[in-house]
Amino acid sequence: MTALLPIIVPVVGAGLASLAGGRRGAVTAAALASTVATFVASLFLPGAAEFRQPWLPGLGVSFALDPGGAAAVLVVVVALVMVPTALYAALTVEERPGRFVAWLLLAQAGLGGIFMARDLLLFYVFWEATLIPSLLLLGTFGLEKRRAATLKYLTYAVLGSFVMLVTVLALKALSGAPSFALEDLVLAARDLPAATQTWLFAGLALGMAVKLPLWPLHSWLVDLNEQNHPSGAADVLGTLYKVGGYGFFAWAIPVLPLGAERLAPAFIALGAFTAVYGAVVATSQTHLKRLLAYASLSHMGIVAVGVFGLHVAGLSGAVYLLAAQMLSTGGLFIVTGMLYARRRSFDVDAYGGIAKSAPALAALALFLIFAFIGVPGLGNFPGEFLSLLGAYQSAPAAAVVATLAVIGAGVYGVNVYQRLFLGQQREAARDLGPLELYVLVPFVAGVLWLGIAPAPQLERIEAQSQLAVLQLASGEPPAAELALGGER
Amino acid sequence: MTFPPVVAVDWGHLAPALALLATAVVGLLLALYQRDSRLTVGAVLVGLATSFLFNLSVFLSDSAGGASFGLRWLADAPALAFNFVVLLGTALAVLVSYDQLGRLDMDHPEYYPLMLLSALGAMVMAAAGDLVTLLLGLEVLSLPVYVLSAWRPQARQSEEAGMKYFLLGAFGSAVLVYGAALLYGAAGSFVYADVAAALAGGSLLSLATLGAAFVLVGLSFKAALVPFHQWSPDVYTGAPTPVVTFMSVVVKAAAFAALLRVAATVAPEVSPWLQDALAVAVAATLVVGNLAALVQRGVKRMLAYSAVAHAGYLGLAVLAPDHGGVEAAVWYLTAYTLMNAGAFAVLSLVVDRNDQGDDVERFAGLGQTRPGLALALTVFLLSLGGIPPLAGFAGKVMVFSAAVEAGYVWLALLGILTSVVALVYYFRVVAAMYFRRPEYPAPSFRSSATDVAIAAALAGTVLLGLLPGWWHEAVRGAQAALGF
Repeated sequence: MTALLPIIVPVVGAGLASLAGGRRGAVTAAALASTVATFVASLFLPGAAEFRQPWLPGLGVSFALDPGGAAAVLVVVVALVMVPTALYAALTVEERPGRFVAWLLLAQAGLGGIFMARDLLLFYVFWEATLIPSLLLLGTFGLEKRRAATLKYLTYAVLGSFVMLVTVLALKALSGAPSFALEDLVLAARDLPAATQTWLFAGLALGMAVKLPLWPLHSWLVDLNEQNHPSGAADVLGTLYKVGGYGFFAWAIPVLPLGAERLAPAFIALGAFTAVYGAVVATSQTHLKRLLAYASLSHMGIVAVGVFGLHVAGLSGAVYLLAAQMLSTGGLFIVTGMLYARRRSFDVDAYGGIAKSAPALAALALFLIFAFIGVPGLGNFPGEFLSLLGAYQSAPAAAVVATLAVIGAGVYGVNVYQRLFLGQQREAARDLGPLELYVLVPFVAGVLWLGIAPAPQLERIEAQSQLAVLQLASGEPPAAELALGGER
Repeated sequence: MTFPPVVAVDWGHLAPALALLATAVVGLLLALYQRDSRLTVGAVLVGLATSFLFNLSVFLSDSAGGASFGLRWLADAPALAFNFVVLLGTALAVLVSYDQLGRLDMDHPEYYPLMLLSALGAMVMAAAGDLVTLLLGLEVLSLPVYVLSAWRPQARQSEEAGMKYFLLGAFGSAVLVYGAALLYGAAGSFVYADVAAALAGGSLLSLATLGAAFVLVGLSFKAALVPFHQWSPDVYTGAPTPVVTFMSVVVKAAAFAALLRVAATVAPEVSPWLQDALAVAVAATLVVGNLAALVQRGVKRMLAYSAVAHAGYLGLAVLAPDHGGVEAAVWYLTAYTLMNAGAFAVLSLVVDRNDQGDDVERFAGLGQTRPGLALALTVFLLSLGGIPPLAGFAGKVMVFSAAVEAGYVWLALLGILTSVVALVYYFRVVAAMYFRRPEYPAPSFRSSATDVAIAAALAGTVLLGLLPGWWHEAVRGAQAALGF
């Protein structure tokens, strides 16, 4: 039952927040209570029992949640990120904060399901259901051009995921698997011929590449971030919802290893290109959120490079990077929201030199930027390093190209800090208030936690990477490897 | 093969239909003396509840699966499940009609018994085991709906809708009768099972194929499969909204109940080109319905074309009766009844008292002015678009997986690609409600009966979506019963 908590608690919280409506105190209380409770519950996930109930037995769908493996890490990080994010949203959204928080929390419930589902159709249910709150957040609370951005986001996401749905159904029908459960699919799909696996992999990959996102399916992301509510809280959700890499890691590669091997060269090339492209475009942006969007796109390229290296280090590293960037990118989006609250602008040139008047803000922002660009000892570094290391084993050229993106990150990261906080101060800016400080502390703590002590989390992820790698080696997967929950 | 004697009748199996018939007759008689329709509505609701209880008792008993009149009246799992759908749709439509008829200046007590008679026809079609019973059901279903479509006095649109529906409906029936005659000529019987058995012998195959094709065409009119759909957007737009609530769900359920039976028994025994033609029609329905819905300005007309598109999704199940298509269709229609009737119920509150004003601008800002109504419509539209975890999603998974299992991967792919289009036009209304400021004064009409219908449909759409398994299991085992 512990596995259900990260889904049920946020749903209840969402109900409470929407009941609270416009009363800011009540909304804040609901947001804090729900997110803190979810975080505490998620700490008990490693080692918790699997939850499995028939859901649509006629079609072989079960409500199967496994809190082990990578899920334990990702759900905890999501829960940690959501505490300050929901709090900041409850404090700063001017109109109808209750609705904003309710949609954030509903999306959190969906994310919990995405990471824990061990039934492919159930995974799809959560994958798709999470889209609606994030769409409504963008459309209701976004800026002027939000409707165009919403339509673009909807079209990309739905086109990808609907093709994925047909592929999921075809996967079961063609492989003759008795159910959509991971272990059944893994066993049954292995015997499919390579050509069939390749087609099926491509079908799944379309949906996952949109949500990774990979070039050329990325342009919705930039518009989404640019048009989202200026507090940055909705962008944090956008960051958490970049679950495509996890989809490849947990589903597409272990279930369709031959398809993965055939298509890996293409995807690793796309990933390397995305990494460099994102970094290059980011250096020339002056809109803070667009800059951050392209920069995080660059990270996603590295995630793809790590995943499609099809090596255990890269697979684990990619998922670790996914978790770490939730904290660093999410924190930076909140920082953009705080900057906007001071100057009403996302233009980098509207700032400058404010480190003098806002030293605490500058210090924490610098810390998060360092984490973001992969400084060793902070969150992103282990994941980035392992991703590139894993990719180097199978595709050294792509790994080298992707490494250029890391250099690019140093350039745009230092550059943006300089333009925002150093130099001649034109106008003083208010420093962090106590509440803002509380909002940023969890991000900083999380980044340190993932940077200093990666081993326990990496071990959990690696347990799941082994499954994919065993499948790739097309050896018999020992039954014990399939169950990630329980004691280990 | 020995068949039971013609006179064998299980009155228990007929009870759900007879309850509707008796209530309709009583209602019509009441209307002679008592012009206040509240009494009739009460009687009709009691009749529906009685019929529901009868149906439930048969559904749960061991005698389900039997036949009366020598295989001409089947009380198997699909038929009984369809009865539930019909009763649900009728009850929702009656509730939506209750306060609205007065507002639309069309409050006459005969309205409700006519609706019940039409529901009776739907039950007859679902239970029909032969072509004559099918025709009987079709006419009992259709005639009251023709009248109801033209129910609004002094409204040319409504009259035109009724007339158009009548002419095309009569044409469809005629085609069906002709097809039945050809089938009889080829097989020497009207009973599906006998026809299938005779055709398995291989005699007069081309004649039988032609006959089956005509029967399917006749039913396709009612089901609104392309290219026999053209009446439906005009009729939906012209007919009063409460009537559309009824016919968009009950008539569709009846048509698909009949289509499924013919597709499961007769169609496999005739030339395979008929199956291919049906697949092409389904493909055309998916494309035309969804693309046409995309370009509509009025929400009512958009929902009309969306109803055509949903006929396409149901068509996927009709193509795969042996691969779980039967329970998929029943399940899909249950979900469709809830979400579509719910959407029309909300629409009926938004339109003005002339039943006009359904363009998207009217929905702008509804999220602020009528948050409850907006939330309900959002759920219905997202469910129609197949977004999990709402009922429409589980239904879509069922029909698509039936189609994929039956080998129609290309159709499933086409269906999913057109679903992307569908989501765009559904979401446009949601976007108007939440992302725009109000442009018109908030709709002021309130009706507690309609609110009850909306609440019930909303609860059903959400709960059925969250817990889809039990109803699917209840309807399963259906194929075994279908073939006899």
